[in-house]
Amino acid sequence: MRCFVQRVMTDREVTTDLKQLIPDAAMRRRMSRVVKMAVSTAVECVGGVEQIDGLDTILTATGWGCLADSERFLRNLISEQEQLLNPTPFIQSTFNTVGGQVALLRHNHCYNVTYVHRGHSFEDALLDALMRAADGQGAQMLVGAFDEMTPSQHRIMERMGLFRTWKDGEGAVFALLTACQTEHSVAEVAGIDFPSEGLDAAAVHARYATDERTKVIWNDWSIAGCYPTASAQAFRKAVELIEQGTPEVIVYNAYQEASPAVIRVRWVG
Amino acid sequence: MTMEQLIQELKEHLIEELNLEDITPEDIDAEAPLFGEGLGLDSIDALEIILILEKNYGVRLANSAEAKPVFYSVKTLAEYVMQNRK
Repeated sequence: MRCFVQRVMTDREVTTDLKQLIPDAAMRRRMSRVVKMAVSTAVECVGGVEQIDGLDTILTATGWGCLADSERFLRNLISEQEQLLNPTPFIQSTFNTVGGQVALLRHNHCYNVTYVHRGHSFEDALLDALMRAADGQGAQMLVGAFDEMTPSQHRIMERMGLFRTWKDGEGAVFALLTACQTEHSVAEVAGIDFPSEGLDAAAVHARYATDERTKVIWNDWSIAGCYPTASAQAFRKAVELIEQGTPEVIVYNAYQEASPAVIRVRWVG
Repeated sequence: MTMEQLIQELKEHLIEELNLEDITPEDIDAEAPLFGEGLGLDSIDALEIILILEKNYGVRLANSAEAKPVFYSVKTLAEYVMQNRK
């Protein structure tokens, strides 16, 4: 199974004005910070709001979902004693809000799935993209991941001692993938694997590398901070290394030392 | 509270609760329609307005049939609140 990366970007690389990327004011004003962050990254990644029309697959991944709206809804539930609940944070707090909002921007009713599987969410979405491509579908696939850090989430993670080792993190990463190689392809996603046990760097290299110059990116939260879909940032870094001339990059997601995931990214030649 | 003060307060609640970006109370015509044209609000906003009335003024719509004229504009909302507030 394989597919091709046409473009990949993070929320920090978005330069276009939000009102241009999300022209519908009614949609925009209901979006929380993470939804704006993720949808704007998705739209800029596909090349503008009109380009959503050409997508036949929208796959999003998140570990925490729209956390701020979920917290707002739950706080409301307690303070209002389960009465008089605002509809907006409830509607917008679902995990598939981002995928839905991207589709709604242009009323695109294509295959649209959100993966919520803690630290493996991004890899699961990517696996779906690879299977779509292998199945003869996925001519234009948008695949992305997002998570936001809120003050309460930060407090919980701090009390768990996570920030003694890693810094906190959040972000959105979106990639435009195709089943077939095009003149704009910058890298190939050559495979994905979920080994049953943790591996060290030498074992990862021995098992997955096909070139002696292959680099391994270890997603241990040191790249983008500590959050579930940080491996999408490592994938972004892998594509960057390919663009700089590395023939192959292995992204090893050592999420909490258990059930790792491996993404193999290759130069398209 | 005078009618003018209530209208001003309702406009501020609408801007705050509906996240009306780049809009100030002065931009809202108290007599303009809230839905469709005017501010272009929709059914989700109607639910939010019901909560604004109930939480801030203790006003509950007795039946859904009266909602349409009451929700027509900020002014009609203010008149309803004036008549029914607790």
